[in-house]
Amino acid sequence: MSALHTRLRQLRSQAGHPPAPVPVRPGGATALPGPTGSPLSDDLRRLLQRHAELKRAPVRLDASDREVPGIELSPGLRYTECRIDWLQPRAIVDATFARMPPVDHRRLLHFDTETTGLAGGTGTRAFMIGAADWIDGQFRIRQLTITSIAAETAMLRRFAEWIGDDSVLVSYNGKCYDAPLLATRYRLARLPNPLAGLAHIDLLHPVRRHWKGQWENCRLATAERRLLGVVREDDLPGAEAPAAWLTYLRGGSARNLRRVAAHNAQDLKSLAGVLLSLAGMA
Amino acid sequence: MNALPDRHDTAAEPLPRDPADGRTLAQRLSTRYASRITGAFVVPGREGSFAPLPEDLPPALATALRSRGIGQLYSHQAQAWTASQAGGHVAIVTPTASGKSLCYTLPVVAAAMTDHAKALFLFPTKALAQDQVAELLELNQAGALGVKAFTFDGDTPGDARQAIRLHGDIVVSNPDMLHQAILPHHTRWAQFFENLRYVVIDEVHSYRGVFGSHVANVIRRLKRVCAFYGVRPQFILCSATIGNPQQHAEALIEDAVTAITESGAPSGDKHVLLWNPPVVNPDLGLRASARSQTNRIARLAIRSGMKTLVFAQSRTMVEVLTRYLKDVFDHDPRKPARIRAYRGGYLPKERRVAERAMRAGSIDGIVSTSALELGVDIGGLDVVVLNGYPGSVAATWQRFGRAGRRQQSALGVLVASSDPLDQYLVRHPEFFRDATPEHARIQPDQPLILLDHIRCAAFELPFSGDELFGSDVAAPWLELLGEEGVLHREGDRWEWIADSYPAIAVSLRSVADGNFVVVDRTDGRQTIIAEVDYGAAPVTLYEGAIHMIQSLPYQVERLDWAGRKAYVTRTQVDYYTDAIDYTKLKVLDCFDSAHAGAGEAHHGEVHVVRRVAGYKKIRFYSHENIGYGPVNLPDQELHTTAVWWQLEPAVLDAAFEDRQQALDGFLGAANALHLVATVAVMAAARDLQRSVGSGDGAWFVGTDTHGRSQLRGGDGQPAALAAGAPFMPTVYLYDAFPGGIGHSEPLFQRREDLIAQAISLIERCDCRAGCPACVGPVPAAAEHAADAGASGRQDTAASGTPKALALRVLALLEAA
Repeated sequence: MSALHTRLRQLRSQAGHPPAPVPVRPGGATALPGPTGSPLSDDLRRLLQRHAELKRAPVRLDASDREVPGIELSPGLRYTECRIDWLQPRAIVDATFARMPPVDHRRLLHFDTETTGLAGGTGTRAFMIGAADWIDGQFRIRQLTITSIAAETAMLRRFAEWIGDDSVLVSYNGKCYDAPLLATRYRLARLPNPLAGLAHIDLLHPVRRHWKGQWENCRLATAERRLLGVVREDDLPGAEAPAAWLTYLRGGSARNLRRVAAHNAQDLKSLAGVLLSLAGMA
Repeated sequence: MNALPDRHDTAAEPLPRDPADGRTLAQRLSTRYASRITGAFVVPGREGSFAPLPEDLPPALATALRSRGIGQLYSHQAQAWTASQAGGHVAIVTPTASGKSLCYTLPVVAAAMTDHAKALFLFPTKALAQDQVAELLELNQAGALGVKAFTFDGDTPGDARQAIRLHGDIVVSNPDMLHQAILPHHTRWAQFFENLRYVVIDEVHSYRGVFGSHVANVIRRLKRVCAFYGVRPQFILCSATIGNPQQHAEALIEDAVTAITESGAPSGDKHVLLWNPPVVNPDLGLRASARSQTNRIARLAIRSGMKTLVFAQSRTMVEVLTRYLKDVFDHDPRKPARIRAYRGGYLPKERRVAERAMRAGSIDGIVSTSALELGVDIGGLDVVVLNGYPGSVAATWQRFGRAGRRQQSALGVLVASSDPLDQYLVRHPEFFRDATPEHARIQPDQPLILLDHIRCAAFELPFSGDELFGSDVAAPWLELLGEEGVLHREGDRWEWIADSYPAIAVSLRSVADGNFVVVDRTDGRQTIIAEVDYGAAPVTLYEGAIHMIQSLPYQVERLDWAGRKAYVTRTQVDYYTDAIDYTKLKVLDCFDSAHAGAGEAHHGEVHVVRRVAGYKKIRFYSHENIGYGPVNLPDQELHTTAVWWQLEPAVLDAAFEDRQQALDGFLGAANALHLVATVAVMAAARDLQRSVGSGDGAWFVGTDTHGRSQLRGGDGQPAALAAGAPFMPTVYLYDAFPGGIGHSEPLFQRREDLIAQAISLIERCDCRAGCPACVGPVPAAAEHAADAGASGRQDTAASGTPKALALRVLALLEAA
């Protein structure tokens, strides 16, 4: 057995002291189990920290504003729904711009995720899924937000229930980003991927075909301003979404998380708006 | 190293007579150049041992093999089939060119044909991976087997990747791709993993040290991901000859393996010569260059009608030797070339052309870097010439293993360079002949490496609180990562929460701690010409250092420590530089102790502070000190493991006239021990370091500007010990890697052997007072004293040489 091995083993056996008390998590009833006591020696710990240049994470935050909107469907899974009067689609939407046959507007399912980052791979997850469809002439926006990581599976199951066999997905860059990310999450949760095999209109591509070079860029915010005249106020930049959720997860304020939800809802409205503009141009 | 003219190049050489084989050429060389040959021995050949094609082989596969001319198997191939069908992990350890790849091809292809089972092949280099796929495709075509094999590496285009993930039966890749591209995206490979039956890892002997420790952790991650998909793949590993193949294979995959070690492939006798270039300047002790000798031997061999492969240590040397041989054999441009170079840095297409020409037998001489050491197929060869010692006994045999046909005898010649290690080896032929090949060692639980891979593993799949990683619970490491903020603990689970992709920051091939880049500014250029590990930078990239790249000298003009850059210009000098570094060690914990003669040997954890105070300029070949320069760099700190020897004050007082003598002796002994230890553990010289000091870090020993040992206090300033102060000098050999990489424990186990070897090294060195090949560079004064002693005044002078003092220290440490 290697020397280091022996050393660590020795240190671990010394680590039997009782766990340090941990403050009760603000805003929640559950206290996390305390750390099991660190078996790493101080020397080793310093060495590792210096080499990895470990940054001390912010200590547990303690905020009073912990209100996440919506109702709790199951522990850690919150749900909001609203119906708004927003545009009037034709019964059958012309999808020639997306090189697809005409679609009954009730089959359209606009969706957008908010994620913990852009790094990709199995370590990135969605903490919010928004989806919107047309129902009884109104635009219905539904959002799922998780306030604990354990609730992710419940969120994925619920989202799957919203998707029909004949749904037509509508997204902005969703073919390259949201759909593969969700496919990974469903795989990790050992659930079937409800998006697999569905028709999918990714609006980024037709927007690029039409306006690349004419607009400063082809982001959704640009498209909605140019096509729909929407100017967002107090919009939380997408890049700040991961931090907003992480802050909340660590016990901090929910304020920015609510702004993420507002941003997500606006994205869904814009998806529908951009889609109908493109359909109307045909 | 080529500053000196090749005086012997034009000397008369014997003319070849009949086409020779290895035996006759060895005889001819031994007769003509007896004084240059320091060792000659024969490794007897063996008869082939054969077995019929297994009956349970799928008929279409058997047909494909027959149509490729394979009507029977070597016994080890048949054993590998049986062992793999029994379901366990298998390790195949047989020499180069013994048909290893069929050992894994058969089970993998058979499983793909009958069960649509998938296989992952890992090779250390892309070239080997491509070879393997070419071979699989040929077999597949021969039998229309319908098995799809693809390489998956950094060159694989994005649009091909999806198809490979879905349709590849055999995916041929490398550990780096598995680590950075496949495992962190394993959900995309879900179908592949769900059907994964075999993982084939070839050339496992190359996975040792830091690289091997990383790879062992990548395998842990692979197994973890496989478990998620509900599979437990069977591992088939192949290794060239090393001292501990089965143990090494088991250490890599952390599971029992069946080892197959008897090759059934026939081979002829192998003659081996150790060759030391002749002394051309007895006054300075200069020898002719290894290059001139290599060139001469290769020329003779090719003239004798033998297919010859020359291994050179650098790409430049490959070009130089190729040029020399082409001048002799390829001067007529109308004829097809007989000589070819082969090295990294050529385009893959060029290399394929060279390989084909060699297999076809139209090439008579090949000059290569280590690129040909691994299993690239180049057909039969008769002679291998090594221009310099490759750094390990195992690698030497691997290279020699390139020569040899079934019936004919082959020849391998090791030509020593002026490097101390080379000189040591050719002067100790028995060491080389009797040495069991080195053991490959890994240390997967090295804390820094382990932390890196637990980080990557946590990204791939969440950890549960009591989960093992390797053989230990991951929890303490997860807590550390939790503190860092990349993991979030919820109940019993640790989930990845950061917006980063950790595998990108972890390089398997080096200690990723901010490598330095070397920027060439010659003639206004701004070209990056090399990278240097963080740990090696302070001793190789200080301002004024001569930094050798492909044996060309560059001088460091400016070192940007914070920016991790060294600016160099091309220069013409006849010296190299050697850092004078003072190392202060403090023992933190002693794991084990034992008596060592009149003293003690220990093994444990140490805290090292290293300061580079200056550098010496040392002339090539003669190794004289011709000047000094200052260095101003921050101290380097390191927690690591070490082995050390020490002697009690009373013992020293009785054996030495004064403390200065004792310290000189310890410095010399440290140099010799370091040299033999480097050979013993298959380490790169800079991965293992030495130091002399007191055990408590109070003082340590360096050399002063005259080359004499100099005691220094904890602050690095020259100091003197009070007469009554405790005096217990200690020689340390330590791992130059934070946390240690496992060299020191085997050294402790072999402590008696090392002392004996160090004594033999010094006793048998040709120098009078001491030299870099034994006790290290010695002051001119000591040389003169020794000369005086040799010329008659045989009293204290000779017994006070650095050599004699070092021997006295080692004798005291030698087991009775």
